[in-house]
Amino acid sequence: MFFYYLDLAWRSIKKTPMLSALMIMAISIGIGITITTLNIYKMMSTNPAGDKSSQLFAVQLWSQGPDAWDDFDPQITYQDGFNLLKSDIPRLQTPMFRTGGAVQTEDPSFLPVLQSRVRVTNNDFFPLFGLEFQYGQAWDDSVDKTARYEVVLTNELNKTLFAGENSVGKTIYFNAKPYQVVGVLKPWAPSPNYYDLNNGAFGNVDTLFVPYSLAPIEEYGSWGNTNGWSHESINTYAQRLTSEKHWTQFWVQLDTPEQAAEYRQWVRQYIEQQKQLGRFSSPKADVQLSDVDQWLAINKVVPEDNKVLVGLSALFLIVCLVNMLGLLLSKFLRRAPEIGVRRAIGASQGQIFAQHMVEVSMMGLFGGLLGLAWAWGSLALLTNKFQLEASLTHLDASMWLIAPIIAILAAIVAGIYPAWRVCTTNPSVYLKSQ
Amino acid sequence: MLHIKPIFSSLLHSKSGPLLLLLQIVLSVAIVANASFIIVERLSLMARESGIVENEVFDFSIYHFDKSTDLVVQDKRDLELLRAIPGVIDVAPSSMAPLSGGGWSSNFTLGPEERAKSTPNTGMYMSDEHFIDSLGLKLVEGRNFYPQEITTELLEDGGKMIVTKAFVDKVWPNDSALGKSVYMGAQHFVVIGVVERLQTAWVDNSNVEFSSVLSVNYPADYKRYLVRAKASDIARLKEVIPEILHKEYPSRVIEGFTTISERRIEAYRDHELMATVLTMMVVLLLLITSLGVTGMVMFNIQRRTKQIGTRRALGAKKRDIISYFLVENYLLCLLGGTLGVLLAIQLGQQLMSLYSLPMLALSYPLLTVVGLFVVTTLAVYLPARKAAKISPATATRTV
Repeated sequence: MFFYYLDLAWRSIKKTPMLSALMIMAISIGIGITITTLNIYKMMSTNPAGDKSSQLFAVQLWSQGPDAWDDFDPQITYQDGFNLLKSDIPRLQTPMFRTGGAVQTEDPSFLPVLQSRVRVTNNDFFPLFGLEFQYGQAWDDSVDKTARYEVVLTNELNKTLFAGENSVGKTIYFNAKPYQVVGVLKPWAPSPNYYDLNNGAFGNVDTLFVPYSLAPIEEYGSWGNTNGWSHESINTYAQRLTSEKHWTQFWVQLDTPEQAAEYRQWVRQYIEQQKQLGRFSSPKADVQLSDVDQWLAINKVVPEDNKVLVGLSALFLIVCLVNMLGLLLSKFLRRAPEIGVRRAIGASQGQIFAQHMVEVSMMGLFGGLLGLAWAWGSLALLTNKFQLEASLTHLDASMWLIAPIIAILAAIVAGIYPAWRVCTTNPSVYLKSQ
Repeated sequence: MLHIKPIFSSLLHSKSGPLLLLLQIVLSVAIVANASFIIVERLSLMARESGIVENEVFDFSIYHFDKSTDLVVQDKRDLELLRAIPGVIDVAPSSMAPLSGGGWSSNFTLGPEERAKSTPNTGMYMSDEHFIDSLGLKLVEGRNFYPQEITTELLEDGGKMIVTKAFVDKVWPNDSALGKSVYMGAQHFVVIGVVERLQTAWVDNSNVEFSSVLSVNYPADYKRYLVRAKASDIARLKEVIPEILHKEYPSRVIEGFTTISERRIEAYRDHELMATVLTMMVVLLLLITSLGVTGMVMFNIQRRTKQIGTRRALGAKKRDIISYFLVENYLLCLLGGTLGVLLAIQLGQQLMSLYSLPMLALSYPLLTVVGLFVVTTLAVYLPARKAAKISPATATRTV
């Protein structure tokens, strides 16, 4: 029966090609717009931390004075980061900040390249965020205690410097100082790069990793944000390290809610301790732990514009549906005499209804597929015109399923009333006039 | 002339078709009004001027990675070399590039004490006496820096400062700014000049017009330079400058050549994207709605062929037939438009409360309704003209 209905549906679509095309067009444009905006939204709201999302926490401290910022700053001071490391509650933990500099190899003909995304961090960084190594490994624990000049390269930088060969043991120069390569990462590009959202969430991936223990020695400048809440005169790097400026990020891994509660307690004790030293003078002084989902929300990674667009395109889809509903109604009612004959010969109301639903779903499917093509086209157009990150505009695999499903559901919703109208019409009315 | 009553009762007679069209009109007005409001808002943001001769100015940066470099001496030498290159009109060092999205800003205080009243967050360009000419700014009050006023560090007793007119209007609305001081901790800066306009690095910040230029050309390993040249010379200079500077001193990276025009495109990319997608939406929506109107009119013509023939036989002119369909459409548009305006205002309020969008101006839904009348007139007129051609004979043929 189903295949018979499919056949009937196909014939009916062919019989009124203009009207059918109009309907499929209407629904496909609605789907096209919706999928375009939904796709960008989905890509932006991706949580790249995956399974670990609820175990990774960004640590924020309200260390500013009473009349300063009225919220937790996304970053903390160097001295607090240094002190927080003394807790043995988190399984993995690391302070970090962004720096930059010129990179050279031992090959004198290689012109120095500027790397503006260099991460200064502990070796916990790699297991914490699930980075995998292609060659070698992270620097040893001992490096985090006693600084040595060792680095980890991303796959991409390794291609630039060493044509992708195993470079473990080789020397690179960072700001004219020699460092030994200990590890090369597998290709890695979290989108959004959630662990440091200070300078844009998309398309800026770190390329080089250097030990945090080298910061006081090499005096790496911060290439990220530095926020201050009081005027401090800072002339030396040592003064910067002991200042109240917020310029480092701190992440911990806490496996269970109990562990998180225990850690929060520990940090609160630390804050009490610091209060006696005259720091954390605000009555609101506290700690805030945010897992990755909360962190992405706090940092407003999905721009409001995108939410507005998704909302408006949903309304747009409704307009397309109403449009299709009107067209279907006129099409089905025009066919009422034919239906009258079928009813008179013995087709039940249910069968007529089912037949029309199959026809509508078929149109929905066509509309969905065409809509997918529109979405693909408009995403390609937008990528081209606005040089958007490819990670944001490639058509997500899930859309291949979502688009036809939305389209068919939408078509069915639009088709119910017209199909019901036509199957409840009294056949005698039409038989009489023939 | 306008036979509203029969049209109205015929509309009431066939409920579902007109009702659906009504619903579509209501929704379309709500969406189109809000979308075009956002589009115009974004376009007006993008139309703001930066105060800079954008197509004649580019910036680049020098990164010194050799710690032994004497940055003050090198900077002086570099500036001399740059200014001597044929085609370069002027060059200034700067702590940040306009419209670039990154740089320096501060809340100055109006007195040395910590609790003194503070200014809005203000962009800080640290540069020298070449800054104004390099960017093509317009000095409206006071004077430029003298060369001997430029220092290489923030001195305890501060320095000189040039600010924008917008900053003056905000901080000293009824007073001349010349000779006034602002403070950063203990250091203070005396205002000696006012420029008409200069935007900061952050175009999406409400303080974008509040800029200051400080008489400090401080040494830094990563330093930016702003170069003014004829637009036709810029491509060549991008090639020549790294060559000349590398020849002078090789241990550095010279990169990031970007014109301010390019920075503008980058800075407003998200707004342009939003405006483009919304424009696409508005155009398609109008298209779909007018197709819906055309579809309904065509359907009605088919259904009413006999009626139309009869009316023509009874003396109705072609004009009357067309005006019947037009009036029918206007009735729907009027009702749908009214409801649509109300819904548009509702939707606008929702958007305003959920997101940081300004309040919808009433002119947008009203203009949308006007637009709807124009577009649907076309959508009705074309098929209705065909209906008017129905010969009176058709009415008699099947009776």
